[in-house]
Amino acid sequence: MTATSDGARKKPLLPTGVLAGYLRQILLPVAAALVVLVAWEVSVRVLNVSPVLLPPPSMILERLQELFFPLLLKHAIPTMWESVIAFLISSALGIALAGFLSSSTLLREAFYPNVVLFQLIPKIALAPLFIVWLGIGSQSRLAFSVFISFFPVVIATLAGLDNVDRDLLRLCRALRASEWQTFREVRLPHAIPYVFSGMKIATTFAIIGVIVGEFITSQAGLGYLILFASAQAETALILAAILVLCAFGLVFYGLVAIAETVTRTRFGA
Amino acid sequence: MDAAISTAVSGAAPVTDAPPYMSVQRVQKIYETAGGAVEAVSLADFTVTSGEFVAVLGPSGCGKSTLMMMIGGLEPTSAGRIRVDGAEITGPRADFGYIFQDATLLPWKSVLDNVLFPIKLEHGRTRDHLERARELLELVGLWDFRDKRPRQLSGGMRQRVAICRGLINDPKLLLMDEPFSALDAISRDDMNAALADLWDRYHKTAIFITHSIREAVYLADRVLVMSRRPSVISHDVRIPFQRPRRMAMQETAEFNEICGFLRRKIEEGYQRA
Repeated sequence: MTATSDGARKKPLLPTGVLAGYLRQILLPVAAALVVLVAWEVSVRVLNVSPVLLPPPSMILERLQELFFPLLLKHAIPTMWESVIAFLISSALGIALAGFLSSSTLLREAFYPNVVLFQLIPKIALAPLFIVWLGIGSQSRLAFSVFISFFPVVIATLAGLDNVDRDLLRLCRALRASEWQTFREVRLPHAIPYVFSGMKIATTFAIIGVIVGEFITSQAGLGYLILFASAQAETALILAAILVLCAFGLVFYGLVAIAETVTRTRFGA
Repeated sequence: MDAAISTAVSGAAPVTDAPPYMSVQRVQKIYETAGGAVEAVSLADFTVTSGEFVAVLGPSGCGKSTLMMMIGGLEPTSAGRIRVDGAEITGPRADFGYIFQDATLLPWKSVLDNVLFPIKLEHGRTRDHLERARELLELVGLWDFRDKRPRQLSGGMRQRVAICRGLINDPKLLLMDEPFSALDAISRDDMNAALADLWDRYHKTAIFITHSIREAVYLADRVLVMSRRPSVISHDVRIPFQRPRRMAMQETAEFNEICGFLRRKIEEGYQRA
């Protein structure tokens, strides 16, 4: 059957139009999530599942309300702090390394395949090594978090620096631009969107790095709290801590996205 | 009739004692590829006097762009040498202006900043060149668009910005590699008129690479016809029209006669190949 017959024009399920379009983009996923949460709540209650196995969402929210201040917040602060610092270091390091590698063909040919190969290592397996090297303090967690979060920045930045239109590079040559001028005026601005896509991935990786570090050794942090709560069979607290972590991850990602918008309007890239 | 034009015009470089502004001396370009050596330019040998507008006309793949790259110092020659203004070409020069097939504007810079880009690279004070940038952009009708980004402009407008950028540092030699070939026919006529106007005003020496016969005849003082295999300059034709050039000129019998002559010469080149 084709849609050409007169009666085939159905009224759309949801209102259309520009405003409605935006609303749909927000409302639809929220509604879908609500459906899942309600199904979770109802099925856990109806099937009488033990809250140790899977507490209902209402119970998690209750725990969150009860314990957010001061317990969850107290543990969230070091985790957030270390994630942000690790992210900043890995972004700076990643961009610098990419700039360094793109500065000469020899360097890139020598190191780039190794960087890619290195990325294939299941880096989480190396976490205990950082404790051997740097002890049980925050340095080892920071170093490990930087270690896993800077690869996406390097790879993305390198792609951006190398992917420049050859015609633009020829123009730079014709205008007798130095390597540094070409980098600053053409390669780097061109790479900005790439750099940010790497940095967005790095936010998530930085948090993962810190949490894994906290799992292994720490006296504070959400990773520590999750481990502690699991020892107590406090499943609702674990999920409440994860909820806090999600909220932080979302805000963190959002801030980087805002920084990207600001930078891109500034440079128009 | 062909013979009349040919004898009247070919090889008609003015005979003077002064060395020519530019001389291309037995230049050759050979690329070594995996499949063997490829002759991009078999032999080019000609001179250009100061202030002359020379169009190099030929089918695609005849090596005319390679020739321009060598003159501009962007490609080394395999044999022979090129001298401009008394010095041998060893690389790009500050007194050259370059305009390429694509506008190649920096997408993140405004129109004005794109025009001033060569000055910025020379560590020149862009403020001192603002007046000139304004003059050039006004001439091509884009001063009101100075704060726009390239993506907000049409293809013809972008290429006009590129021409302004090529002229901003007041070059002695302007090198243009098929600057309008990516444009539609109407914008192209427009651009030809704009370039002819700029020419009357600034009167630079210019090398203009094109595969459009009408464009070459309309703009140039001299047309060098390049053939493929061998890639050589087969004809050197002087264009007798007065300046300023007007679009209406393209409707005259003489204009069409020269175009026809050039077309036949290009076809002969094909048949030989």
